[in-house]
Amino acid sequence: MTDTTSAVAARIQQEVLAQGPGSVDLLDAPAAVTLTDVAIDFGPVHAVRRVTFPLAANRVTALVGPSGCGKTTVLRAINRMHDRSGGKVSGSIRLGDQEIYGRDAQPELIRSRIGMVFQRPNPFPTMSIIDNVTSGLRFNGIRNKKVLAEAAESALSAAALWETVKDRLDQPAVRLSGGQQQRLCIARALAVEPEVLLMDEPCSALDPISTSAIEETIVELASEVTIALVTHNMFQATRCADLTAVFLLDDTDHIGELVEYGATQQIFSAPSDPRTEQYVTGQVS
Amino acid sequence: MVTKEGSPRHLLEQRRSSRSSGRGYAAVLWTAAIFFVVILAAIIEGIVSQSTSAFGHFGFGFLWSTAFNTVTNQYGAGPFIIGTLVITAIAMIIAVPVGLATASFLTEMCPRRIATPLGVGIDLIAAVPSIVVGLWGLYVMQPVFLRDVEPFMQKIPVVKLLFKGVAEGPSLFLAGFVLSIMILPTMVALTRTALAGVGTLDREAAFALGATPWQVIRKIVVPGANSGILAAATLALGRAVGETIAVTLLIGNVTRITHPFSLLNPGATLGSIIVLNFGESGQLPLLKSTLFALAVVLLIITIIVNVGGRLIVRKNRQFRLP
Amino acid sequence: MSTDLLEAPAPSGKDPVAAERRQLIQAAARGTLKRRRTVALGIRILFGTCMILTLVPLVALVGYVSKRGVGALSVAFFTHTPTPEGIPGGGISNAIVGSLLINGLALVIAMPIGLLVALFLIERRGPVANVIRFGADVLTGIPSILIGLFAYAIIVAHTHFSAYSASVALAVLMLPIMIRGDEEAMRTIPNELWEAGLALGARQSRVVRSVVVRGAIPGLVTANLLALARAVGETAPLLFTAIGSQLFSLSFNQPMNAIPIVIYQDGTTAFKDLQSDAWGAAFVLMAGVLVLSIIGRTFAARLTRKSR
Repeated sequence: MTDTTSAVAARIQQEVLAQGPGSVDLLDAPAAVTLTDVAIDFGPVHAVRRVTFPLAANRVTALVGPSGCGKTTVLRAINRMHDRSGGKVSGSIRLGDQEIYGRDAQPELIRSRIGMVFQRPNPFPTMSIIDNVTSGLRFNGIRNKKVLAEAAESALSAAALWETVKDRLDQPAVRLSGGQQQRLCIARALAVEPEVLLMDEPCSALDPISTSAIEETIVELASEVTIALVTHNMFQATRCADLTAVFLLDDTDHIGELVEYGATQQIFSAPSDPRTEQYVTGQVS
Repeated sequence: MVTKEGSPRHLLEQRRSSRSSGRGYAAVLWTAAIFFVVILAAIIEGIVSQSTSAFGHFGFGFLWSTAFNTVTNQYGAGPFIIGTLVITAIAMIIAVPVGLATASFLTEMCPRRIATPLGVGIDLIAAVPSIVVGLWGLYVMQPVFLRDVEPFMQKIPVVKLLFKGVAEGPSLFLAGFVLSIMILPTMVALTRTALAGVGTLDREAAFALGATPWQVIRKIVVPGANSGILAAATLALGRAVGETIAVTLLIGNVTRITHPFSLLNPGATLGSIIVLNFGESGQLPLLKSTLFALAVVLLIITIIVNVGGRLIVRKNRQFRLP
Repeated sequence: MSTDLLEAPAPSGKDPVAAERRQLIQAAARGTLKRRRTVALGIRILFGTCMILTLVPLVALVGYVSKRGVGALSVAFFTHTPTPEGIPGGGISNAIVGSLLINGLALVIAMPIGLLVALFLIERRGPVANVIRFGADVLTGIPSILIGLFAYAIIVAHTHFSAYSASVALAVLMLPIMIRGDEEAMRTIPNELWEAGLALGARQSRVVRSVVVRGAIPGLVTANLLALARAVGETAPLLFTAIGSQLFSLSFNQPMNAIPIVIYQDGTTAFKDLQSDAWGAAFVLMAGVLVLSIIGRTFAARLTRKSR
């Protein structure tokens, strides 16, 4: 087990002991985001349906499943990225007590409270490192230089990049390595102090060393933000996530579904749904 | 097709080229290629050679001389270079911002299923031959300009300083405006290509931070497409400089610069004056040579602008011309 | 780390600063939202207007030319040669035939050269190919009037005005479009076909090369159609080479009338019947060019669909 896995395992063990006899129920933790009976359609094509699960506050929730089963689609629905691509989201997604798709909900404000990190590192190529990090703040109307500088330092520290770049903040962001660029993107998302951070396979374009470093950062960040992590790598889920939601394609009509949700340990060692068991034992890929 | 040294394909190619039929084929290709280069050289040589007597006669002063007299055989390029510059400037001032705005609208602010047919429509209408546009400009736009537009321009503060006098028909402004209509589709198409070259991922990242579409365009897309937009503008400029026949119908073709300067004056460009005077130049060899000298000037301007534009394109790898 | 599961674990020691900053950010975001959205909407309307401004003149043009041109069409228009002004019954038959002949010869000249140079660009890499490609790109931007003057300088100046000199000019005009278009079309042919050709041995390779060319035909057709569409509409080169004629002529060695020349000459006279001919010719030319362009693009679209 890596350090990160043992840290998570140790934490769960501690909590079990603290609770005394009785099962550990992570599932009772308060939720930052709640999805209820969510379905997403693109025109006539049904992508995903019957999705009901929470994003537990200050925890890492992994969304796992084979490709094409809707986990990224669900993730992008949470910060209303489908508004631009014509996807229709039905059902209820609540951030705290606010309906994200409610009549009076403003997408730009939602997105300032729910941040996103993408599959490939995508720092803005025409901007320097510091401008990249503060870009979200500036989009949202913050101009005060002191606030921008403090927020940038805080975000870069949280993303474990501050020491590396603090002396070259004005350099073009594209000069960083792949792993560093992804950290920059994480810092950029963190700078607006979101309540939730959505991460869409953030390590898939990185080498193994950068990957494990970022996984460490993800676990550390959870204490400050709620994290939803889409990953096709089950081991990454066990290393980083407290909770896991398993998505699979329905065999008959090929629409994605949430099959099971629960504590990561339990999902991977003793799943309730037979389909989950098939997936985690590698029979479904 | 990449042929690596030592790869089976490369060895085969080497073997192939040593066989006679392969060699014959290669010879044919080389002949065609060299023939093409010869054509390029011949274009330059043909035009330059016909201009030598005029350049010899007038020297470099030709470029800014404003004389044009078939009786005394004194000619200069001055008014025509100015005319070319003026209407090109008018066309660019209109077409670059409007083209940029249109392209931005189509790529960023319009659902794809509407934007694509609109883009195709703009490209198709751009194929209308310039003589047809010129004719339409003459019969439709000129009366409208005389009656409504030009008096209107004379009422706008500051701008009206450029519109002194009374318009009588063809004018620099009319020619420049119709020219802008002609280069707009080029500007829109090339700018769309440049904007599309900015990765979707960058846009998504900006939206995910809470930016509005305009913020995304202003801060992310346009800066990212900078050199592509510059290339588009340069190539549109090239088209404006080279456009002749429509301009000929709309500009009036006077050989003097009218004072005081006003966009309502008629004028002439390098191209239009060549077209108009070529027929009469049969008996006037110096005039004919002068027209070719004007052509040389036009050739130099065009080559500079086009080469400049293509070099900008090459420097920005992502940008592929349609 | 907190061990109390029912409360969210407390964030690290930076919490009060972070929470305060979060409030500040949210306040700024909410406060500026209305302004940002209004600006975004305003820009959208402004840019949309620009788009309409781009389309309107062009659409109006097509409409006007069609309206005025269709009215000028008649059987006589298509079958008679021009009559002097004032005398009814004239047409532009010699111009229609002239355009067909001049452009036809230009195609015959340009197509093989364009294809061969494109093959050269594909087969040979290196500085020569790059120079040629760059030269073709720059030639695309050379004004057509200069190409007409070139044809005058090397042919007419030594002989006389003729239709074949016009064809030469138009061929030079078409050439760069064909070269680049043919090259693009053949580049979409997958490598495996080329490799298969070479693996069959040298003598067969030429046979397979024609297979590859055959495979690229939709793209080649597109490139040539678009080049033709461009050349058909050009006026300036014709004015220095074929110069037009009132007579019906099939001789390439004599001046010849063509549709753009009719538009230019008759459109600028003061005589109504000649003007009417000009509009009819303008409509025919515009329609022809649009049809060629549409066919060319349809081929191109089918090609990209196939290669997916």
